[in-house]
Amino acid sequence: MITASKMSFDANDANDANKVVMLAEARSDNWSQLLMKVGADRDKAAFALLFDHFAPLLKGFLMKGSALGPERAEELAQETMIKVWRKADSFNASKASASTWIYTIARNCRIDWLRREAKSSRDIEAEDIYEFGDENPSFNSLVQIRNRDKIRENLAFLPPEQLEVLAKIYFEGKTHSEVSLELDLPLGTVKSRIRLALNRLQVRMTAAEAKQDA
Amino acid sequence: MPEVRLHPNTDVLLEFAAGSLSPAQAVAVSAHLFYCPHCQAKSGTLDAIGGNLLADSEAVSVSVDCRSDVMAQLDTVGTASPEKLEINDAAPQGVRWKNLPPLVNRLFRESGISWRHLSSSLRVARLPVGERRFELALHQIKAGGSAPAHDHRGLEITVVLHGSFSDDEGVYHQGDYITREPGHVHTPIATANTECVCLSVLEAPIRLVGRFSRLFNPFLSFMPV
Repeated sequence: MITASKMSFDANDANDANKVVMLAEARSDNWSQLLMKVGADRDKAAFALLFDHFAPLLKGFLMKGSALGPERAEELAQETMIKVWRKADSFNASKASASTWIYTIARNCRIDWLRREAKSSRDIEAEDIYEFGDENPSFNSLVQIRNRDKIRENLAFLPPEQLEVLAKIYFEGKTHSEVSLELDLPLGTVKSRIRLALNRLQVRMTAAEAKQDA
Repeated sequence: MPEVRLHPNTDVLLEFAAGSLSPAQAVAVSAHLFYCPHCQAKSGTLDAIGGNLLADSEAVSVSVDCRSDVMAQLDTVGTASPEKLEINDAAPQGVRWKNLPPLVNRLFRESGISWRHLSSSLRVARLPVGERRFELALHQIKAGGSAPAHDHRGLEITVVLHGSFSDDEGVYHQGDYITREPGHVHTPIATANTECVCLSVLEAPIRLVGRFSRLFNPFLSFMPV
């Protein structure tokens, strides 16, 4: 298994923004390196390795929960990987890992596909919506960025009922209300499971939300 | 730039990251993110949750054809050209406000600007995003002018793009993301020395309240297309 970064820091050492920047710059997982190679050199061999790793993951991800059948999921995985090839030079390893970057491309492909299916009269592309300018992190944000490298281990410790709700939201693109209907749970329960999961994954709540919880 | 004070709640950012927000709401969140580094970082973290769920997904093998199709296309598909986007992001003619989110400029450019006056100090321009449940619009209130008192049958989201406005609950500045629940009545007033431009997402037509209400069309006088 490939870890997002080989460097790690003391969890309490939240004050050293320089380390955070170093951590991001040192992101050195193999997939991110391959992706940078594709971006810089249009390296087809590197792309083939990425394809063999990510296309099956994307297909599995998109199929989960039967939201999409295997054929559709494969088409979307294919579309995603072609975008990965076309956009690889805009991949920035200091902002996201390869799997996060590829996740966002797959999400955008799925959004556009669903809207084509719904025959919306006039569409803006998901890509336009999700490009809102460069991340320009404040100090607080840097602490949050550092926490991203712990997401994977923290996910492993989530109770199954919390992971189930998160999976429905991410894998199937379900809204909170749709999840509540599907699992036959009150909306409040869905929201509190999400809140607990996100707390454990160290996503910061807004001041107003923190007040509500207190 | 002063720090943005009002943010979408975490559930909204989560649905944005997961791709399940309606297009109009997603545009409002995107506009807020343009002004708010704090929510940008949070949104990046929520994306990273998606990335990790992808990394840990169960792999399902793809067909040989799928792989060879993709590999065969690599030479012909070309690369996405970022230069083209930058040109489209510039403010179109007739838009004099600086520092609007690129997405808003692009929507403006594509739909053209067609203002409708709703009162002497308020005008509105639709931004079509091709959805039925919510409508997306820009509202402009003249300096010191007010929008008619109105209540909501549905959710209203407002993102301040330029200037500032106030209502009985506070003062709102550039980037603030204001959520009004159904049933809430308020009278937005632009700050005295500068006009105010806001991006609004409206769930259902708004009903005006007060003695002149019959003279006005509804706040947005049309149903979503």
